[in-house]
Amino acid sequence: MSATKNKPTEVTPPEKSLFKSLQDFCASIKFAIILLVCIALGSILGTVIRQGAGQDEYLSLYSESTYRVITLLDLNDVYHSPWFIALLFLFAINLTLCTLNRFMPIFRGDKKVFVPEESALASMSMNFRADTNADDANLSAMLKGYQCTYSGAEGKVFQKGALSKYGVLLIHTSIMLILIGGFVGLVAGFKGFMVLQKGDTKSTIAIGGERPREKPLGFSLKCKEFQVSFYPNGAPKDYVSTVEVIEGGQTILEKQIRVNEPLSYKGIHIYQASYGSTPSFSFTIGGEHVTLKEKETYRKENIVMMPIRFEQNIHNFGPGVMVAYLDQGEPRTVWFLKNVERFNEKSIQGIPVRFEDVQENLFTGLSVSKDPGIWIVWAGFAFILLGLYINFFLYHRRIYVRKIAGMYLVAGVAMKNKEAFKKEFYELRRKFDGISS
Amino acid sequence: MAFHHKILGIVTFLYLFLFLIHILYFAVKKEKIIAFIWLVLYGTLGLHTVGLVLRWVESYQLGIGHAPLSNFYESLVFYPWCISLILVVMKQRLKYPAITLCCTLISLFLMGYASISPSVDKNIQPLVPALQSNWLHIHVFTCFLAYASFVVSFVCGLLYMFTWKSVVPPRETLDEINYRSVIVGFPMLSAGIFTGAVWAHYAWGSYWSWDPKETWSLITWIVYAVFLHARLVRGWKGKKIAILSIIGFASVIFTYFGVNFVLSGLHSYAT
Repeated sequence: MSATKNKPTEVTPPEKSLFKSLQDFCASIKFAIILLVCIALGSILGTVIRQGAGQDEYLSLYSESTYRVITLLDLNDVYHSPWFIALLFLFAINLTLCTLNRFMPIFRGDKKVFVPEESALASMSMNFRADTNADDANLSAMLKGYQCTYSGAEGKVFQKGALSKYGVLLIHTSIMLILIGGFVGLVAGFKGFMVLQKGDTKSTIAIGGERPREKPLGFSLKCKEFQVSFYPNGAPKDYVSTVEVIEGGQTILEKQIRVNEPLSYKGIHIYQASYGSTPSFSFTIGGEHVTLKEKETYRKENIVMMPIRFEQNIHNFGPGVMVAYLDQGEPRTVWFLKNVERFNEKSIQGIPVRFEDVQENLFTGLSVSKDPGIWIVWAGFAFILLGLYINFFLYHRRIYVRKIAGMYLVAGVAMKNKEAFKKEFYELRRKFDGISS
Repeated sequence: MAFHHKILGIVTFLYLFLFLIHILYFAVKKEKIIAFIWLVLYGTLGLHTVGLVLRWVESYQLGIGHAPLSNFYESLVFYPWCISLILVVMKQRLKYPAITLCCTLISLFLMGYASISPSVDKNIQPLVPALQSNWLHIHVFTCFLAYASFVVSFVCGLLYMFTWKSVVPPRETLDEINYRSVIVGFPMLSAGIFTGAVWAHYAWGSYWSWDPKETWSLITWIVYAVFLHARLVRGWKGKKIAILSIIGFASVIFTYFGVNFVLSGLHSYAT
């Protein structure tokens, strides 16, 4: 990013074809800025309009015609919509072309370094003459940190911070890396969800929102233990799932998964995402202890029953469960209240059924994902930061030293950060003066 | 009231004091006052640091030790600290009191809002599981240093709009300081977004989920990227750049406040 301005003084040749001008436009900074502004505006839309919700929710928020526009333009999923991805794709092309245009001259290396003539040096804004007999060793000591790029009988050329020229190249290439990494993740990765209760083993995950599909993982996960702890103020402190990875019937490894501490196995990451609980109910049915989950059917002899609904507190009478059963083939429902003597027992088909207790069974919600592009993205991040540093905090400057009749004519140029260079050049002049005296 | 609250209360008054000395400077125009302004600013930054460290220490005494970077109150108090830090770092360029005046006014507003607003919980709260990570420190630090640099850029852009000769610095100087603060802020914002992405990968399972906060930080990043390209490649200067820096800061404000209050998402620790 040099401070040189693209002067719009060049007259467009009349023979310039439409294709050529289109090509030039695609590689222009103007197009880049238009694209960036469009991407920003698209992103804003995505934060203002609710994303990925169901039809009912949109219809409760917007009118029917607005909803039609939203679905037509994919505004309910902006960031995965064809037009947004097309914008990113165009941006990638523009970025590549801009960067190539800028750096082709440097790669061709058609600039030769030489010591300019005396008149040219004397007309540079920063120059001085030093009456000194400094030799090569003195010179390189005074220009510490500088690299000698040309040395001849007439003089020398030194430079520093030449790397800063490549800052922009590094930043732009890194942005491409991040885009590529994101694309790799989109194509070759997946993200799904798995719910496990203590003791459960599963080998598939659910992928997708409203109608999820099952995807086999290639190995199984067993939840050995799941614990939630809270701070005294009731805020959650820690969720820990102790999970076993089982492959080919063998336990490969065991690990505790916490928020911020995922488990990685074969490139698949398993995260502690959420937790919840489902109730299970214990009954005494004709002297026998039975534990039933919600919607679990009990069949024995002529009893058919199923707990269908659980309430933590019914009219201040404490926990209760609604049970559906068959009475002479007729479906009926009845509420059992745990803490009320008259309502915790009922005879079904002549057999006494007593509601004893309810247990909360915790389950752990694990997010499971694979992203082969992740390291490309990480590399992109690191290189951008390096590129930004090189670009903004190093700067390229040259110092020319010409020998003229036992004297030195020293001149310097900096591409940017001229203020700082002025100070540095002043220091250099003092060093030269120190030797000559 | 915890001890650190008293210290931070004094710090708030110091920002008010700084504001008053600036006014005094513009009234009497004595160069000595500028030296005094910087002395007070150093003192304020020092005491502010003490306040933050005390809050950190007190959180350990409560048995829920963590850096004071975890909720809205803590960010409101941390932001002015970053602004003062950036002012001290850029001191060589900030010889014009108009800039430090506006910056300390913003700091005063943030400190005042943190201590007066009844909707801001000032107590030290325990860290929820998602925030229990070392990425918290580096992520919040880089983001707020960026936000603080953009305050300086915004102030320069704003002052550019006025032509009050005895108060407003020369326009070329404002333009230069504006650019200088953006080249500090932009890499910091990038680092903030990247550390956030790496952290999100470990905490939420995805480095980018188009959460409103993430999206708005990207929008802010784009605005400042446009700023830099407009200036360095297209050679924009002056008013256009000043307007861009104001738009950029509006985006920063929305990323910081707006997203918390208007939009909901994963990043809802700060409400």
